[in-house]
Amino acid sequence: MSDNPPPTPPRHALVAAVLCVAATYIYFLIFAEFALIELAKPLAEGRLRWLMGTLAVGGVAGSFLAARSFRFERYARAVGTGFRACGAGAAFVLLAKSWLMMILAALCVGLGLGWLTVTLVSGLRGVLGGKRLGLWAGISTGSAYAVCNLPWVFEASPAAQTIFAALVAVGGAIAAIWLDLTAPPRSDTRDYEPAVTWFWVAALLALVWLDSAAFYIIQHTEPLRAATWAGAWTLGGNALMHLVAAVAAGLLIDRQGAPVVVVLALAVLGTACSWLGDGENHALGVEVLYTAGVSLYSTALITYPAHGGRPWLSARVYALAGWIGSGLGIGLAQDLHAVPLWFIALAGVLVIGALAARWSWLRRAVVKAAVCLIGLGGFGWGTNSPMYAAEGSDPAVALGRRVYVAEGCIHCHSQYVRPHVAADVERWGPVRPLTESLLERPPLFGNRRQGPDLTQVGNRRTPEWNRLHLMHPQRFSPGSRMPAYDHLFHNGDPRGDALVAYLASLGTSTLGERLQQAAQWRPAIATPSNADVALPHGRLQFARLCAPCHGPAGHGDGPAAAGLSQRPPDFRQPTWRHVPDGLSTEARTLVLARIIKFGVPGTAMAGHEYLDDATVVSLARAVDALYAARRPPP
Amino acid sequence: MSRPAASPGGVEQRRQAMARATQRHAFGWLVFANTVGLGLGLLLLWPELNGAMSPFTYGRWMPVHLNGQLYGWCSVPLLGLLFAACLDWRHPHAHHHARVALAAWSLAVAGGVVSWLAGESSGKLFMDWSGWARPLLPVAMLVLWTLLAGHVWWRLRRPPPANRVSTSLLIGLALALVALLPLPGIFFWAADPGVYPPVNPGSGGATGASLLGSTLGIITLFGALPYLLSIPRRAPTTPSSSGRPAPSGSELSFGGALIASWIIYAVIDHGHASHTARDQILGLGSLFVWIPLAGWHLAAFAWPNVARRWLVSAYVCWGLLVASGWVTFLPGWSEALKFTHGLVAHAHLAMAGLVTAVHHALLTCLDPAPANQGRASSAPWAFLTWHLGLAVHLLSLFLLSMLEEANPAGLFLSDGPSQLLMAVRALSGAAMLVASFSWLKQAWSR
Repeated sequence: MSDNPPPTPPRHALVAAVLCVAATYIYFLIFAEFALIELAKPLAEGRLRWLMGTLAVGGVAGSFLAARSFRFERYARAVGTGFRACGAGAAFVLLAKSWLMMILAALCVGLGLGWLTVTLVSGLRGVLGGKRLGLWAGISTGSAYAVCNLPWVFEASPAAQTIFAALVAVGGAIAAIWLDLTAPPRSDTRDYEPAVTWFWVAALLALVWLDSAAFYIIQHTEPLRAATWAGAWTLGGNALMHLVAAVAAGLLIDRQGAPVVVVLALAVLGTACSWLGDGENHALGVEVLYTAGVSLYSTALITYPAHGGRPWLSARVYALAGWIGSGLGIGLAQDLHAVPLWFIALAGVLVIGALAARWSWLRRAVVKAAVCLIGLGGFGWGTNSPMYAAEGSDPAVALGRRVYVAEGCIHCHSQYVRPHVAADVERWGPVRPLTESLLERPPLFGNRRQGPDLTQVGNRRTPEWNRLHLMHPQRFSPGSRMPAYDHLFHNGDPRGDALVAYLASLGTSTLGERLQQAAQWRPAIATPSNADVALPHGRLQFARLCAPCHGPAGHGDGPAAAGLSQRPPDFRQPTWRHVPDGLSTEARTLVLARIIKFGVPGTAMAGHEYLDDATVVSLARAVDALYAARRPPP
Repeated sequence: MSRPAASPGGVEQRRQAMARATQRHAFGWLVFANTVGLGLGLLLLWPELNGAMSPFTYGRWMPVHLNGQLYGWCSVPLLGLLFAACLDWRHPHAHHHARVALAAWSLAVAGGVVSWLAGESSGKLFMDWSGWARPLLPVAMLVLWTLLAGHVWWRLRRPPPANRVSTSLLIGLALALVALLPLPGIFFWAADPGVYPPVNPGSGGATGASLLGSTLGIITLFGALPYLLSIPRRAPTTPSSSGRPAPSGSELSFGGALIASWIIYAVIDHGHASHTARDQILGLGSLFVWIPLAGWHLAAFAWPNVARRWLVSAYVCWGLLVASGWVTFLPGWSEALKFTHGLVAHAHLAMAGLVTAVHHALLTCLDPAPANQGRASSAPWAFLTWHLGLAVHLLSLFLLSMLEEANPAGLFLSDGPSQLLMAVRALSGAAMLVASFSWLKQAWSR
């Protein structure tokens, strides 16, 4: 950013500009992001998204209005107007006693803040000059974050924070009087070529998106929240980290340019997000990284449009990257409760793409990344699709069916037992009449079996087993190709339990028929005659398929057993739960084989219907040998 | 839309621009859907990768792959065919209109991709457009129809062309467009979860009648290709007394057999008929007659060289498809292969084999400049890589189906042989992706 070295700005203008930027940030951080939401909560009754949406709509509208009305000759006055509108908005929020008034107040706040940010930043280079714009922006940003982390500000009541924000706005309006434009107002480097600006907006949007998602997760996860914002020392540390990181970012921007800082911010923020996990199991130090990353990119968020000195560019940055990026980030966090790795990678692609786009020969390749971004915009919206709407007699089952459909379970699991295929009936039966299936909208026959048929899964798996298996498939079915769906069970998400309810509903009326079928089943091979051959194979299969629950020696102490409400049996016990005493070896092997193949209904012992008879018998031999080894001599 | 001013000078450039745009969209979707397909192969091989992608796990990507191929790669070249047949190339903005229609179509499919990834699904394997995404493709169809209808209208209002064949073709196009008008509405209706095709009670899959009907639709469409693309016949035909060229023997056979086939389709059972029913077996078996007939018909036209190579590939795939489709429908075979990778192999032979080959030929012929024809599709190494990849891919799927039929536990629990075959399948998919990427690159580099 070394084009057209500007004259040194007058000291009073410099101080005024720093104060104005800091005041804007303070207003946004302590009021628009925090206090406003807290004050609205008692009136919201679950409609907070509407309030946040209105705030964003106001912000976007205010941004574009400001761009349309921007005149360098009326700069100080327009900034002052923005501060006054913000102050009035804060007062309005304090006075709002109904939901409608609160919505209107949020609209005013959004309009005022949108106007103020775009106006202030569009003329900032004219006040501060281009040479040390980064440094001053860093000082302003860092100071604002530091002030917001002062314990008496951070821990104040929402009403007090609102009053503080209103006072800050008044202060900003007064400081704006001294905003004198003396330097050339705009830079003409390649970063501000029309096509390149879009890539920058996309990169900044990705960063805001990451920040907002991480912020939401930290704020709504008690251990993280405590680690990040609890206690005077933590807050003081935050304040210092913010200030240092922001000033460092400003210096880097002045010397190396904004791209370096943006990449650095991405690395730090991306690492923080990946360490967040699902919030509950986060890595140590994530809060420090988050704090640093936020300050880094926040400084770039000011300096890029400020160097540009183009009101419409500022409007795009704050409307699209700022307001919409925030909304998408919060939406992402609310729906996923985590920042997925692929999203961090995509943010990386966007940021690198923005830098690459500065060279026209690379720009074409970067367009593909932008297309991905459009897709992502839909994710936030799409994952909110009304799939939770219940229908049918049992809302949980109806919702579960919709989850089954949404997650694409039909692409691996069929729901059709072919009536004339003996193996089908034996493994997945009994047959369900076609006319019954056709009553569903639509029937979920599927066309693949990369996992078992689920037509009657309710009669052979307990809800507990299904739940645990959905969360950790490989733990309960080693080698299974099934993805883990533990995210469906997090943070009160109703989808996981609904899916379990749906699976439980499949085949409940056929339990008796299934039991009868199991009782009549006999393996196609003779049980005792090939025992010597079967045993080694059975032991191998036991270690692979049974040990996760039953333990390697059959003591019922496998790693997966901890999650079960009823501990698996200890095979050393003289009496077994489901195998009568006094049976001959052959009869005992047959009973065990039936249990292994069909499971024990009502318990966590799931069947292994897909195993061939030889494997089932060899497993039965292996289990029987565990018992026999400890049986007292006759 | 007002009537355009005639501007014959740029006709060729506009057609070239349309051909380029169609190729870019078509190959773009092919690369995208193939990439997703490869990703799915890897997810099956290493299911733990799903964890890093949560909540966009395997089940959400499957419809993206399937529908990306169906509504992207398998559909977009046909849009080019409609442009070639219907647009008035004297209109100074004809190529822009084509781009608008292509953009509308691709946007609709992109919207679909977002919806499937977001979990918006009807639960139907095909016609899976639900919720907010359900009207997207019908709207794109309406945009396409409006543009095509406008151009045909302009052409009808111009002074009649010198020969009567062109006039007949134009009137035929107008009538076809009128017939196509309800299609967006029908598509929207058919996407309803409550609308479900007849089911074969023996397998839970499609009936013989459904398979016959959809295949005849493809035969009709592909049979019309040379006419819609204005491909000249190889042997000159004698004009009849009315001045029109007399139909050749292959055309008469094709037309007669097509009518007969549709009659067979009309008379067999259209309800929930089993694959053990004789009329279903024989009806589907009647497709065998199309192995020689299709070859005879296509060979009668003077296709550009690059297109001919692809048509030979299409013909081989066609023969294999008819034979394997019928055999896998037969009692005994159906029981063995239903729900296994064997039927996936059949579907991939249809899409990656037949449709891909025909669409390469089609995209080749869209460009009116002989120097450009098939430039994107002509690289021999890409042709070979694709076919080699496809052959290995199909073989690995077939072997997988044999394994899972004998012992499903091997597939469910990732036994060594199934993992090996999955890895081979992923590698062959990667080879096909490389080939498709080279076509996209060529289409963009022109």
